Amino acid sequence: MKLTINGVERSFDTPPLTTLLHVLREELGITSPKAGCQQGGCGSCTILVDGAPRRACLLPVAAIDGAEITTLEGLGTPEALSPLQTAFHEHYAAQCGFCTSGMVLAAHGYLEAGGTPERESIQEALAGHVCRCTGYVKIINAVAAAAGGEIEATQRWLPQPGEEAPVGIPGAPA
Amino acid sequence: MAVHKGRGISAIEYPTGMNQNGDPSQAWIKIKPDGRVDVFSGTADIGNGSKTIQSQIVADTLGVPYDWVTYDNSNTDSSPVCTGTFASRATFVAGMAVKKAAESAKAKLLEIAGKELEIDAADLEVEDGVVSAKGAPQKNISVADVAVAATWTHGELITGTGAHLNPFAAIVDPETGRVDLPPHAAISYAACAAEVEVDDETGHVRVTRLVQCFDVGKAINPTLVEGQIEGGAMQGLGLGVLENCYPYYPSVEHRGGQFGSYLAPGMEDLPQVDTLIIENPSTGGPYGAKGIGEMANNPQPPAIAAAVHDAIGVWVTELPITPERVLRALDSKQEPRRDGKLVAFDEELSVNAFSDGSLKFEVPA
Amino acid sequence: MKAVGARLPRYDGVAHVTGRTMYVDDIRVPGTLWTKALRSPVDHADITGLDVSKAESMKGVHAVVTWKDVPLLEYGHLSGLGIPADEPLLAKDVARYKGQPIAVVAAEDEETAQAAVEAIGLDLTERPALVDVRQAFNSDAPTVHHWGNWYPHFEGEMDRRQIRKGSIAEAFEQADLIVQGVYRPAAIEHVPIETQVCQVVPEADGRLTIYSCTQALYFSMGVVAAHLEVPLNKLKFVGGTVGGGFGGKVDTATETMCSLLALKAGRPVKWRWTREEEFLCSSTRAPWHMEIADAVTTDGWILGRKMLTLHDSGAYARFSPYGLTKHSFHHTGAYTIPNLEFDGYVVFTNRVPTTAMRGFGVTSVSFAVESHMSRIALELGIDPFEIRLRNANRKGDTSPNGIAYTDPSTIPTIQAVADELGHELSADYRTATSEPRTGEWLPEHLVGQLGNPEAH
Repeated sequence: MKLTINGVERSFDTPPLTTLLHVLREELGITSPKAGCQQGGCGSCTILVDGAPRRACLLPVAAIDGAEITTLEGLGTPEALSPLQTAFHEHYAAQCGFCTSGMVLAAHGYLEAGGTPERESIQEALAGHVCRCTGYVKIINAVAAAAGGEIEATQRWLPQPGEEAPVGIPGAPA
Repeated sequence: MAVHKGRGISAIEYPTGMNQNGDPSQAWIKIKPDGRVDVFSGTADIGNGSKTIQSQIVADTLGVPYDWVTYDNSNTDSSPVCTGTFASRATFVAGMAVKKAAESAKAKLLEIAGKELEIDAADLEVEDGVVSAKGAPQKNISVADVAVAATWTHGELITGTGAHLNPFAAIVDPETGRVDLPPHAAISYAACAAEVEVDDETGHVRVTRLVQCFDVGKAINPTLVEGQIEGGAMQGLGLGVLENCYPYYPSVEHRGGQFGSYLAPGMEDLPQVDTLIIENPSTGGPYGAKGIGEMANNPQPPAIAAAVHDAIGVWVTELPITPERVLRALDSKQEPRRDGKLVAFDEELSVNAFSDGSLKFEVPA
Repeated sequence: MKAVGARLPRYDGVAHVTGRTMYVDDIRVPGTLWTKALRSPVDHADITGLDVSKAESMKGVHAVVTWKDVPLLEYGHLSGLGIPADEPLLAKDVARYKGQPIAVVAAEDEETAQAAVEAIGLDLTERPALVDVRQAFNSDAPTVHHWGNWYPHFEGEMDRRQIRKGSIAEAFEQADLIVQGVYRPAAIEHVPIETQVCQVVPEADGRLTIYSCTQALYFSMGVVAAHLEVPLNKLKFVGGTVGGGFGGKVDTATETMCSLLALKAGRPVKWRWTREEEFLCSSTRAPWHMEIADAVTTDGWILGRKMLTLHDSGAYARFSPYGLTKHSFHHTGAYTIPNLEFDGYVVFTNRVPTTAMRGFGVTSVSFAVESHMSRIALELGIDPFEIRLRNANRKGDTSPNGIAYTDPSTIPTIQAVADELGHELSADYRTATSEPRTGEWLPEHLVGQLGNPEAH
């Protein structure tokens, strides 16, 4: 079987029902997609198959023989981050980072399909991608920013009586 | 057949550090021949950002740019003891360890700088990677040059070690629980208001807004603090209305083994989250910091329970507040038992209703 | 200050968004074997037979480990705090919860490991199970634990955690109202997106390299060293980069067993729990049962609190006595209550042992006391913000166990939330501060109860 992964054609011989996740992680050493649940329930294995977000843990490789696969490594590198990766980094949308690969690729698919900065649209598009650390707020902020939207700060810093609020923090007096 | 709105509030407090203290953290620092700084800490970063926080503390305490600091917490051969990343101790206790290590390294740095400048170390300060004389900044030497001098002139390795341990607060009287020392490193505080919509036909509770105010002492990195608060808000929401290992508790039957049968909060559950943050410094924490990691998921459940009562006039005091529990409460219209000055809620849940008398909860008559 | 207080980028931020962060399951060591566990299928049973011979001789199986292979079978993780050992690493005579590990297998691949597990002969005689903490004290209750149904080793060999302050009888006597309620928050899962995982590599020099997802490298290293009866420098824990923990990755659930497998097999061994194991077999937040009776006055002072807590510890103690102690120290919440009678029990049931989770011990008490405070406010017809501000901790107020508060901010945080909501507070409450109590904020029942905030 053949897959083009991040632009590189790879051939491999594996039982046809082997999942794409297993092939990527165990046979090809591409470990960015994670084995969070292997039930299709968390989204941490999400990669792009011919540009569309799919769950690698549910995909038998025989079903996608010949496809183009994009993993997080294919989106951008530390030296050349994609705009979406930059947005995730600048908006602190990753804490432990374990869900990040699937989240970024799902968001990439959303943006490529014309996704808008509206919070409700982003929530609907990324529903089914579970994050336990961030509470989703900064993930949504990052995707909205990448979609060209404005972020409304929902945090304010209050000064102690007699003190000035810290400067340079959203919501603090200038 | 209507959706009812309600609001409830809570005010909580939470300790920093292991209960009763006695939980050490240690760190050590070495300075490379070009002045760059290596920090070795045993603190695991579980997503809370302790790698970042501790690097920030080292940078400012030592007086070097943040990007000069390399942080290694990767293994127990090179890193010393850190009791662990729990009990909201990574910023305070482990942070104090790296702060002390940085102070210790700074003392050595200034000693050697003093030899180079022929100025007493006590009259020197470090900022932004430059050591200079207090009040006479034109007399200076870069940290890089101090490191070069240390390595090739003086034959010295610039290191610092730090250890932080709040003394163990033993319970001196087990019958009263009294302690003579503070059983915590600090205490953090928060208040929360929850707004909900409750559908009286389906019983579904939707949390629409959380307004929270947290005192974090000092935010070493404000954005990371926000991240903890936001992440905690969703876990508190989950505890309040969604999650249950044992859907028929106390029965152990019918546990959910997958996402979908165990209801972890999803993006669609996110309410409007408005967070206010104050800094009321701790005594003894690095730059006045207090812990934030755990308390972030404590204030929401009781605020939600009070909001549900505000919305539909029933109390659900078993978590999570599921549609079934809401509908049952609406059906039963339970009122507390009133007897003289006693107002007794939830008697059907009490140990008194299940025990053969071996354990009772009774108010003296 | 340049760095402290600044919104500097995450140290590991770029690595996270480019997929470069390495978690335990991303580390590749040639020749690594896969692990599966034989787990108890029932809630409570005597183990009358365990035959691993078929599994051991199966092609592709390199090691099977049972209780017999463990140098120190029971090690109390918090023995340093006086909590004795009670839990075998692998079950020996009895299984006390569904999912309890009985044997582990290391094999060439997952399928072989699973087949080997299924080939282990296990004979069980089921016993009645206890699941309701409220019934644990009954004379006809099934016995869960060799210590009985509740933990008996608090200081002075007491069987409960006690807090006593002032006179609860007087408080009830003086009260205008006594409000009573019961609060029961559930067990929930940590749900880290990274499940429990470790890899153990036996090195040429006889050491073990243990790649671990633990939240506490040295703590877990101590646990493994104790079970294996080896000095600390025989082990090298590698980790510090965890895919979420929330308190669930302190139990050291995989490292010791994998170390034993690695030593027996002479090969690297990995164990990555399935999501199903994570949901059904991993330790959980504890369910709690809390009953409160508060003595209150019509003008909103809480004179005294009587409280009973039953902490559902599951089948073994783990960290529960510590959690209950912490809970007891905070059972007054953010308020100053001078007359206290608290009794708490760590109760054993036939379910997965409960453990620390974010807020351990206090999450439960916050739910109970804050829900209760909201009820009291309604009963008295007092504004819920103002009743809290009235009773709120101030500098110099003392905690349940006698320590003065030094920098409380209950008052400003409540005021800030009221302000944000546009909720009008009356003048006194709007201007209240955390300074030591005087005047209207110092009722007679608190005189003589205050401490010195400078004392520590």
